Amino acid sequence: MEQRTNSPYPKIDRPILAAIGLLLVVSTVLFAWSDRRHDWRYYQFEFKKRVAEKYGAEKAHTVPVGLDQIWAGDLRRADRCVVCHQATLWKGFETAEHPYRTHPPEPLKAHPIQKFGCTACHGGQGFAVDADKAHGPTPFWEEPVLSGSLGEAYSLAENKKALMQMNCNVCHRYDRETKGAEAINRAKNLVLEKGCRACHVINGRGGTIGPDLTFVGDKAAEQYDMTRLSGQKTSFAWHVAHLKDPKALVPETVMPNFSFGTKDSQALAMLVMSWRKAPVPADFRPGTPRTDPQTPEEVIEEQKMKTGPGAWFVKTGCFVCHSVSSLGVKSAAQIGPDLALAVEDTQSRFGRTVDDFFMNPTGTMAVVLSRQIILSPEEKKVAIEKLREAFREHQKQKASQASATSATSANAPKH
Amino acid sequence: MSAPKSAPGVHPKPFWSFRPTSDREAGDAVVSNFVLHWFPAKVYKPSLDWNYSFWLGTVSAALFFLLILSGLPLLVLYVPSVERAYGSVKDIEYVVTFGTWIRAVHRISAHLMVAVVFLHLVRVFLTGAYKNGVGRGQMREWNWVMGVAMLLLTLFLSFTGYLLPWDQLAYWAVTVGTNIASAVPLIGPKMRELLIGGRTIEQATLIRFYALHIVFLPVALGALFVYHMWRIRKDGGLARSDGEVLLPAAQEVPPGRTKTYSLLGVARGTSPTIRTRSLEAPELSVNSVTDLTRRIAIVVLGTIAVVSILSVFIASPLEEAANALVTPNPAKAPWYFLWLQEIVTDTTVRIGSFTINGAFLGGVILPGLLIGLLTVWPWLDRSPASAAGAWFHGSRKKQNAVFLLLVLVVVLFTVVGTFMRGPYWHFFWPWQAWPELPTRI
Repeated sequence: MEQRTNSPYPKIDRPILAAIGLLLVVSTVLFAWSDRRHDWRYYQFEFKKRVAEKYGAEKAHTVPVGLDQIWAGDLRRADRCVVCHQATLWKGFETAEHPYRTHPPEPLKAHPIQKFGCTACHGGQGFAVDADKAHGPTPFWEEPVLSGSLGEAYSLAENKKALMQMNCNVCHRYDRETKGAEAINRAKNLVLEKGCRACHVINGRGGTIGPDLTFVGDKAAEQYDMTRLSGQKTSFAWHVAHLKDPKALVPETVMPNFSFGTKDSQALAMLVMSWRKAPVPADFRPGTPRTDPQTPEEVIEEQKMKTGPGAWFVKTGCFVCHSVSSLGVKSAAQIGPDLALAVEDTQSRFGRTVDDFFMNPTGTMAVVLSRQIILSPEEKKVAIEKLREAFREHQKQKASQASATSATSANAPKH
Repeated sequence: MSAPKSAPGVHPKPFWSFRPTSDREAGDAVVSNFVLHWFPAKVYKPSLDWNYSFWLGTVSAALFFLLILSGLPLLVLYVPSVERAYGSVKDIEYVVTFGTWIRAVHRISAHLMVAVVFLHLVRVFLTGAYKNGVGRGQMREWNWVMGVAMLLLTLFLSFTGYLLPWDQLAYWAVTVGTNIASAVPLIGPKMRELLIGGRTIEQATLIRFYALHIVFLPVALGALFVYHMWRIRKDGGLARSDGEVLLPAAQEVPPGRTKTYSLLGVARGTSPTIRTRSLEAPELSVNSVTDLTRRIAIVVLGTIAVVSILSVFIASPLEEAANALVTPNPAKAPWYFLWLQEIVTDTTVRIGSFTINGAFLGGVILPGLLIGLLTVWPWLDRSPASAAGAWFHGSRKKQNAVFLLLVLVVVLFTVVGTFMRGPYWHFFWPWQAWPELPTRI
């Protein structure tokens, strides 16, 4: 007879399993809740309400819901600030409190939000969507929002919001003066006035007594000796204190004490901290050279050509392709034939006079003269005259050369 | 023509019954169900005791299962490139739905698994469970060797995962870890180069660690796990169940009292009579379904629940993006290697200009010796077979004491290294504040 062996096992197992089941339900509720409890849900709800009050329910429907980001591809930044700061590009919330406030439109004209994002200028953590993590200061994120309150924490002289200018200068580092960045402009003037380059290399120029400051803004906070620094232990505070009195922080330093006041040392500290290797494409940095510079010899030669007898060919642009050997014009490319021989050349190559060819050109010259170098009939006449002049000069040089050689050959038998 | 309902080999229910009405139904569940087929139909009751095994092996397996499950979404959300790894982890942390929780589950399971697998090893040693009892063809010592290999795989899995977030914590922990490994004489530096794909930790390292972490190591651990389980069956269950044979010899089963699920017994003579203690001493064994399965459910689901709840409240750290130019102070290896780092720093002695590098002793000799000893210990252990599966058996007093002492030292050094070492590896009590760390702005 089949039967069930009585389980001798404690009956307590079943309630334990039930308790575990309950625990699983609790854990599911917990993690679902932990994912829902973000502040941005409240801010979006509140902004929608404000839009409804101001512009009506229909307009409020157009307010986006959920996570959003601005992807500034060139800067490789994904800024999710707009998840809470939804009013950024709206009109009519200029005086509302954050995060429901419209962004001042003026700076956005030169810095469109789609190209620059938010954190490139403001600092902060664009990845984060919670207020504390996005704004900082937060452990392990060393780019807090450069806000007025942070400026107050540093007791900035005058403009408390000036810290943001550090980020302006990441791109504008080669400007002598940047609109709206008074502190940075002030500091740049001080750099010239006090002759910082006597000892320091800045942007590749300067003395070698002090350290190269070109990218000193990237120096990690751990690399500063903060033992003699009182108050906030930050790189910025170190620079402010160091500029005020270098020997107080680094007793063995040879850097002179310039007796900078608070305002000057803060401005200089901002400038120094802005000298960073930030991954910014060249076109974001005004003043970045975009050509390979000419050598001094090349510059002198070009000057000669521009003022010499062949100046007309240089100014008109012929020299891009053609040399004019008799007038001292040398083309870098030399794609076309030497124009000193043009009068002969048109005859031998096309069977036409230079006048005829120039008035009704064929081939490459037809394209060049109709698209790139467009001359009026009068200018064309001048051109032909110049070509003849070049040829005359060529013949003259040839003749004098020939007489010189005949002179030497006449002298030869005397030996 | 339909088969009769009671035809042998026909198991009409694809799912097992939670309340089997007969032994046959309970046994059928094991035979017919794929998931249950690796269990015996009946289990020696004391093997299931909470306070014998503490179910640490099951907890380890549950954590491994959780790690694979939580690793699957991370596998596609994470980007193994030095430019994007850090950002992708930030994305998981901040904007992926349940991303914070998934990552925390993965991280907490990994840390717990290292700890639980180690405790499992301690338990097996103290109960002498690597010893063969009286069963035929037992090879428990090889299962122990496999277990040691699985501990090392677990450590290496955790270590390779440590690098992936590509933050300062990851970068420098792996720097310290691989530097310790390079202290191996002659082949050390080459070994390090092979592991990290160059001389500095870079993209080549990241992709190697990623491939190891998501394919090679889990597959190896999974294969060993399956074999580990199979050997337990072949060795006659947990070592404790060997105690069963010490009971009074079984009586000859009178003919007629036969059983139909003949797979589970030994047939002697002409008729399939069964001699099995589960019939003679039914109070010593329980049906796997549902007494074993219920306990496994308690342990596995309990592990999942605990990890899930911990993951809501314990945030996973993510420091600044990796920076080869800035060494955090202190730079620490992952916590499970900190006892080694502690020994390395303690044994690095400077006498004038002469430096004895502790990395060789603390990073190579000591762990090598310990792992070697652990591996061969079942063959060195001369205690009687009766010591198998018994906590603190009288015949193994000395070895248990030495082993416990070593465990204590490792745990102590790990705790000191993790909680009491601050900048410059100076000693700090947990209640002592570290010097303030400077920041940029």
